[in-house]
Amino acid sequence: MPWLRTSRLWMSLHTARCSKDFFVARSYSRQPFKTAPGSLSPLKYTKRIAIGTLKVINFLFAVHLFTTYVGRVSFMAGPSMLPTLAVGGELVIEDLITYRLFPSKMARGDLLIVKSPIEPKKMVCKRLIGLPGDIVCVDPTGQIFPSTEHIVVPKGHIWISGDNAAASRDSRMYGPVPIGLVKGRAFARIWPLKSFKIFTNQITYIK
Amino acid sequence: MNNFWLCRKLWSYLYWTPAIVFLSDHFFHVKTITGRSMQPTLNPDSSQWRDVALFSKFAVREAQEYGRGDIVTIRSPENPKYVLIKRIIAMEGDIVKTLPPYPDLEATVPQGHVWIEGQESMPLIGKCPPGDEHFLSDDSNRFGPVSKGLIESKLLMIIWPPQRFGSVNVKANPTKGLSLNDEQRRELSRHARVQISASSFSSGQ
Repeated sequence: MPWLRTSRLWMSLHTARCSKDFFVARSYSRQPFKTAPGSLSPLKYTKRIAIGTLKVINFLFAVHLFTTYVGRVSFMAGPSMLPTLAVGGELVIEDLITYRLFPSKMARGDLLIVKSPIEPKKMVCKRLIGLPGDIVCVDPTGQIFPSTEHIVVPKGHIWISGDNAAASRDSRMYGPVPIGLVKGRAFARIWPLKSFKIFTNQITYIK
Repeated sequence: MNNFWLCRKLWSYLYWTPAIVFLSDHFFHVKTITGRSMQPTLNPDSSQWRDVALFSKFAVREAQEYGRGDIVTIRSPENPKYVLIKRIIAMEGDIVKTLPPYPDLEATVPQGHVWIEGQESMPLIGKCPPGDEHFLSDDSNRFGPVSKGLIESKLLMIIWPPQRFGSVNVKANPTKGLSLNDEQRRELSRHARVQISASSFSSGQ
């Protein structure tokens, strides 16, 4: 490239490269020049791959912890919460951190995500009816128990019930549920998009 | 500059916390046991230290490998802030002969529940001395059967103090009736109070 030789910059570079100082400065520089990945030694190469894999796994762990402690999107289906939640299934954002940080925020009428007391692998979504110390009617519908029977919710327990009493297995069947089984609350429905809704507590008390 | 270096150093450790939290959350964690409710198996009066033990969460969460006789930690059904350490006496379907604070003489453990008891220095059947220390323990005799969902981890072994290092589950062998030690005798008396449900034999539990 003869035209480059004429340029001043090239000439200065050329002289610098020819001089001995250039190589000296290069070998003592803190940041060595990058080498192509093909020229890495096999040991270094495997080390780099191993650390990369560990970082990916670490990231997956972080995602998993987020979904177990902060919030997640989950698919819910079943007839027990009609008409609040559809039978066919929908995507709901679960808020798992509010009750973990502020257990006193639990209020009657909230939509809770609870580990089923009879099937520990299953999660259920039910409405909170009674807090510890409340007197609740065991079965207002009178289907399983006479509707005159009342019970005091014991310490550390809550009373939960599905919105669709006819097709719901809830506290009427297995009694009060320990608060330790409550994982979080249903925050919003995001799918189907046209029925997007943020669940708010619309309970009113009769004075 | 020094501050910057400190941040870099700290970040290089903090970066791996998700992995550590995940492992302690899903596999194994080490905890100090407080309280006297599992005496003399754990925290005996003769020991000058509190026991430190290794717990497996994997056995409870994923494998579901726990049964009668295993020592487990349980989120308290009465106050979710506390975690209790108790021994599983009976699984679902079993019929248990209860101890004093419980209102009924016998209780059937419902589906998805377990019967847990604390006090290890428990009286043999029919010999319940008055003023027995049984009341020290918050267990199923007070609050009834507990949901399996509240079980958090299973005790694998004691790792401190060193002279009691190792597994704590001593399985009694009823055929060697003459050479029973205290631990095995308690194990037998626990068995005698539980009528194991027929379905658990077929399912191989």
